[in-house]
Amino acid sequence: MLELADVHTYYGSIRALRGVSLVVSAGEIVTLIGANGAGKTTTLRTILGTVRPRRGTVSFDGHRLDTLATDRIVRLGIAQSPEGRRIFPRMTVLENLELGAFARADREAIAPDLERVFTLFPRLRERATQKGGTLSGGEQQMLAIGRALMARPTLLLLDEPSMGLSPILVDTIFRIIQDINRQGTTILLVEQNARMALRVARRGYVIQTGRIVLQDAAAELLRSDVVRRSYLGEK
Amino acid sequence: MTAGHRRALGWTALVTALAVYPFVDRALGTQTVHAVSDGMIYVLLALGLNIVVGYAGLLDLGYAAFFAIGAYAMGLLNSPVLGSPLYGYAWSFWLCIWLAAAVSALLGVVIGAPTLRVRGDYLAIITLGFGEIIPVAIRNLGDITIDIGGWRPIERLNLTGGENGVNPIGRPYLPGVPFETDPLPWYFLILVIGAASLWAMSRLRDSRLGRAWMAIREDETAADCTGVNPISTKLLAFALGASFSGFAGSVYAAKLQAITPGAFEFQVSIMLLCMVVLGGAGSLKGVILGGMLITLFDRVVLTQTTFMVRWVGRTAGVPALTTADLTLWRWFFFGLGLVLVMLLRPEGLAGRRVRPVAVSVDEADDPRVLEPAPAPSVDAIPRWLRERVPRAALSAPILDVRGVTKRFGGVIALNDVDLLVPQGAIIGLIGPNGAGKTTFFNLVTGLIRPDGGRITFEGAGLAGLRPNAIVARGVARTFQSIRLFPQMTVLENVLVGEHCRLAATVVGAVLRPPAVIAEETRARARARELLAFAGLGEKADDLARNLPYGDQRRLEIARALATEPRLLLLDEPTAGMNPRETETLTELIGLLRRELSLSVLLIEHDMEVVMGISDRITVLDYGTRIAEGPPAEIQRHPKVIEAYLGTGYEQDLATRERSR
Repeated sequence: MLELADVHTYYGSIRALRGVSLVVSAGEIVTLIGANGAGKTTTLRTILGTVRPRRGTVSFDGHRLDTLATDRIVRLGIAQSPEGRRIFPRMTVLENLELGAFARADREAIAPDLERVFTLFPRLRERATQKGGTLSGGEQQMLAIGRALMARPTLLLLDEPSMGLSPILVDTIFRIIQDINRQGTTILLVEQNARMALRVARRGYVIQTGRIVLQDAAAELLRSDVVRRSYLGEK
Repeated sequence: MTAGHRRALGWTALVTALAVYPFVDRALGTQTVHAVSDGMIYVLLALGLNIVVGYAGLLDLGYAAFFAIGAYAMGLLNSPVLGSPLYGYAWSFWLCIWLAAAVSALLGVVIGAPTLRVRGDYLAIITLGFGEIIPVAIRNLGDITIDIGGWRPIERLNLTGGENGVNPIGRPYLPGVPFETDPLPWYFLILVIGAASLWAMSRLRDSRLGRAWMAIREDETAADCTGVNPISTKLLAFALGASFSGFAGSVYAAKLQAITPGAFEFQVSIMLLCMVVLGGAGSLKGVILGGMLITLFDRVVLTQTTFMVRWVGRTAGVPALTTADLTLWRWFFFGLGLVLVMLLRPEGLAGRRVRPVAVSVDEADDPRVLEPAPAPSVDAIPRWLRERVPRAALSAPILDVRGVTKRFGGVIALNDVDLLVPQGAIIGLIGPNGAGKTTFFNLVTGLIRPDGGRITFEGAGLAGLRPNAIVARGVARTFQSIRLFPQMTVLENVLVGEHCRLAATVVGAVLRPPAVIAEETRARARARELLAFAGLGEKADDLARNLPYGDQRRLEIARALATEPRLLLLDEPTAGMNPRETETLTELIGLLRRELSLSVLLIEHDMEVVMGISDRITVLDYGTRIAEGPPAEIQRHPKVIEAYLGTGYEQDLATRERSR
């Protein structure tokens, strides 16, 4: 479904990605784990076209993404919940969610999806008329995920969805991720909480300084020495 | 040849060129000295504006008003023509130039005071209005009549010369120097004033005050919470910026010998702003370059080209060209130039380039166990921080919060919350997202005011204190979404933290007496020690924005420590960190408490961290305290499990205890 082949992405003269290749097949949850600065967020940015690869190709369902404008990529059915939330602070929670559905053609299906988001995050329903910027950090995180869901994407990119959430919500978030995956959404998940990510994912990639250094079934990665010591904090 | 030699050689060459230039100009008969002198006046103005716009980041669209005030101060005090109670005294130029600077600075403060509570667009609009008011006021104050029922206490009073302006204005007098007939003395006078101003500005920039301005520009809230008083810092920028325009204005008036309100219109403000932006806001070299380019283009290039075009028109017989006047197109060219610069070099011609720092080259393709971040070491704790450890531990709590309530509109964010932080304790503050934890931090640090309740730190109430005053008392914080000063270096970020413990004033910063030099040296040494302790020693000169996430978190803590706090408020310090980094940070917090007797109030969602290092934990839900107690009690509290921890945590806990 999604394929990155030997992708090199630069910021100015700095090589952020040094030949990343990865595949996400339809219906999967795939996780990308790695230290801060390893290139996880850059990988997501390259997929969405907010930075362009200097070499290599990104393709999605037969379309080349690396030459396509970001808004067109989103219309192909890719949505993301970005790192650092990036909600619209001066618009209400409801308006933020409605904007998530901006590129959708099936207008009549939006209302039930809004209802679904409010059911997933009751806190957003309580705050529906508040400005996005007045929400607490964790609530903004919920809003960013909710907004991405409103696009009803076929591929959902999640950048650290559990960041800043209470333990009970971290559990909820990972349950939600499995739920929406079961409903047919393919997910590429970037997480610091590698343990949880590997528990819900089918396969995983480990990225170090811009290269994929390991790839395997998630269950295997959970057992891997390197992963356990570098990313799970075990001695 | 060493860099020092090259520098000295460069300076010598520059000084020689500047000194020789007017004589060469005279010998060649090109007569550009006048234009260059005027150019230097505008450069001086642009440099003054640069303090406000480039350093402090306050967009001022009415800066020409201060230019006008400087010029009129000189004009009115130093005109031999009688007719106004204000002028006719013909005071000495050498006195008036200082008076003009003082008057401008004073008005900078008067006008700045009400406008500085607003920011960004609003401030720009207010300064725009102010820039319009001054020339109009000058025009109308040329003919004042006050009529009270036929009685006229003031009749046709000419205060400012009105539309006609002030004419003539006295020239400077120095024995044997022909200011009347020769442009050369003016050139050198302006050069000396300009050089002295430049010297003062570059020293200000590299001082405690310059750092404070830049911190305000980068993030006002973070600066306030790091101990920088935003109001006085911004006022100082306005006053100093205005005083330099006072010098420029007074020299301008005396050189031209006549001033009219028309010379200080809105376009002048915009032209000055163009100079700053074109050259690079915040860069002294850039502003000089921008200023010189624009004036020379305006005064020399456009007129010369006009002559040339007309000559071409005459020889080629094209009538349209013979009457062309390119100087009428000056705004077209300025606009075009500005658009091009913004597109091609948005940081300005000589601005500080925003460059990402090279990541370490790592060619290894094998999966390796990553080296953990350096664990904090007891030996690396800076000695000066240790010396600040309170000798005798007090029995009274360091922070005592009683019954605080905060409402936002109809929403109660905090409802009658009590919280105690004993001396030297680590207290966890947890609760569901949106429960009011960060609001609680904002109340303690003075960012928002409580609607009820009392906050006492070390026995004294914090009510009504601004955030920077609370920092000075000894409370420091970090932010949930990291708030560094991104365009300042790592070292500068920590130095801003020391701001409230340093004392250098404007005069001290410029003249640098031994006490100030010693203070600055000590501050830098301390900052470096602190960075070494935080594991950032190698990165002192990187821009903060280029640090990887984990380093940014640690830098924020280092900056907070630089304020010499006794209570540290950490808002989700391990968010977005991997287990390794989390572990290191947890050790660091424990170390700070153990070695420095620092009290810590901690918001954190990582239960291993909170349960592991907190002495006691307070739980908030919907703004209300639902539980308080030691960790073991809290993690079994049914209300806490229901609202916050969830049953998953309970199971996790059970598995972990079984495996023990």
